[in-house]
Amino acid sequence: MDWGKVQFFLGEVWRNFTRNVIMQVTAIGTVTVMILLLGTFLFAQQTLGRVGGDQIAKIEISVFMTEKASPADAQRLMARLKSDPRVKSVTYIPKAEGLRQVRERLKGQLDTSLLTSNPLPDALRIRVVDPNQVHAVAAAVGKMPNVANVEYQRDFVERLLRLYDVMSKVGFAFIVLLVVTAAIIISNTIRLTVYARRREIAIMQLVGASSIYIRLPFICEGFLDGLIGAVLAVLLLGIGRWQLWPKFVSSLPFFPLRDAGSDFGTFALQLLGVGAIVGIVASWVSVGRYLRT
Amino acid sequence: MISLREVGLVYPNGTRALDGIDLEIAKGSFVFLVGHSGTGKSSLLRLLYREQKPSSGMVVVDGVEIGKLKRSKIPELRRKVGVVFQDFKLLLDKTVWENVAFALQVTGAPTRDVMRQVPRVLDLVGMAHKSRVFPNELSGGEQQRAAIARALVNNPKILLCDEPTGNLDPVNANEVVDLLHRINLKGTTVVVATHNALVVDRMRRRVIRLEHGKVLADDERGLYHGIESDIRPDAEDLALAARVRSGLG
Ligand SMILES: Nc1ncnc2c1ncn2[C@@H]1O[C@H](COP(=O)(O)OP(=O)(O)O)[C@@H](O)[C@H]1O
Ligand SMILES: [Mg+2]
Repeated sequence: MDWGKVQFFLGEVWRNFTRNVIMQVTAIGTVTVMILLLGTFLFAQQTLGRVGGDQIAKIEISVFMTEKASPADAQRLMARLKSDPRVKSVTYIPKAEGLRQVRERLKGQLDTSLLTSNPLPDALRIRVVDPNQVHAVAAAVGKMPNVANVEYQRDFVERLLRLYDVMSKVGFAFIVLLVVTAAIIISNTIRLTVYARRREIAIMQLVGASSIYIRLPFICEGFLDGLIGAVLAVLLLGIGRWQLWPKFVSSLPFFPLRDAGSDFGTFALQLLGVGAIVGIVASWVSVGRYLRT
Repeated sequence: MISLREVGLVYPNGTRALDGIDLEIAKGSFVFLVGHSGTGKSSLLRLLYREQKPSSGMVVVDGVEIGKLKRSKIPELRRKVGVVFQDFKLLLDKTVWENVAFALQVTGAPTRDVMRQVPRVLDLVGMAHKSRVFPNELSGGEQQRAAIARALVNNPKILLCDEPTGNLDPVNANEVVDLLHRINLKGTTVVVATHNALVVDRMRRRVIRLEHGKVLADDERGLYHGIESDIRPDAEDLALAARVRSGLG
């Protein structure tokens, strides 16, 4: 290892980095804001996703048999449904059980002793593997023999699915916007450093420095902007995660929030990676454009 | 070492800086390039370190054809060709030692070489005692000697100087030219573009005279204003030449 070379190189990077402190602070601050918003957004998406996932997992399709269908017909239908790969589970609810469940649900609200005969047909309850397939499965079951009626929470499912769709599209646009903004600001910072160092660059070119050697200190500068900004953001996110989030959760006991994801380490590393890569790419483009002209 | 055949250079704005230049410069020679301002001296030098590509003709420097040189190969050429300018182009926030070392360090030279080569060239140009000093604290002559040290630290085969004495008083100018002469005696090919008649006439080396981008004269042991039989200079030039030769400057 040639420590003299390392020392020279780090000296050059440091010179770049400290040449315009205000610009560096701006670039780092932008990355911090970007990563902070990105992290918060991803966290919100993940948390809401988990809440929504819990709800969606509970969605059921109720299939009511015709009057004249026998329990054997119901069993046959159940077997057929179980062989469908889209179906996760099927439960058979004979009319007696159905009545018991209705009585349970209406207890205290209606005098169920008035129900002297059982008006309910035999029923099946289906859960599907993928919530997007609820409609298709329900429609298919409705056309099967001995099926009188199919019910499911159509509105709820549709709204939830639409919310998901919108959220991921808006989220994607939002993330792209954040990354582009940070990249532009970093590349502007690097451009100013390049401009401030144009004499050095001219001399490097004159004495035969290779283009990678000329670029490297600037790339490192961009990398540092990105990385330092991301580190600050991750620290802030960590504070939010362990200080603010538990208070928030305990202030909303009725809202079905579970604990935040436990894998903060991986999440933090990914965010640091995003910051560093944005910094490297932005400076690479910016120096490259200067050197080519 | 350097060879130009039918070389023309037209700048993008249409200025024809060089036109039909034919030249051979042998290895180890010392050559002055003279002519009025704007006759293409700097342009010719720029071809030799591939700051410019010839628009026509062929330029060959140490076996490398400049017009066909790939962009990625330019650094390799520049390490064989040192360049010195009128304005020194030293980095003001680095000491003399750091300025000279910079040229090696940015080419990725090992520290061992830096530690060996920098003192060697500083010694050669007589600047060893000023190695810790910043350029602003030096005289023009000292700055130019530091710049020459930087140009030499890569051990180039060719040293190109564009008006190296342009900012110097006669005493410093003579010192710098003496230094260039010593460098030439160690085997480096030296090409000096200048309109300093004093130094040209003192040296009596090969003088290539350009005018309007063409070679007007090429004397093996020339004077700044040419050998009288070659050209007919105007009255003002003759008077100046006479004064120079009688030592009045
Ligand atoms: N980069 C350039 N673009 C356009 N024209 C130029 C450029 N450099 C020099 N010239 C023109 O080319 C001619 C030769 O210039 P130059 O080589 O600098 O002459 P000298 O060094 O002998 O004074 C001049 O007319 C000058 O204006
Ligand atoms: Mg010139």
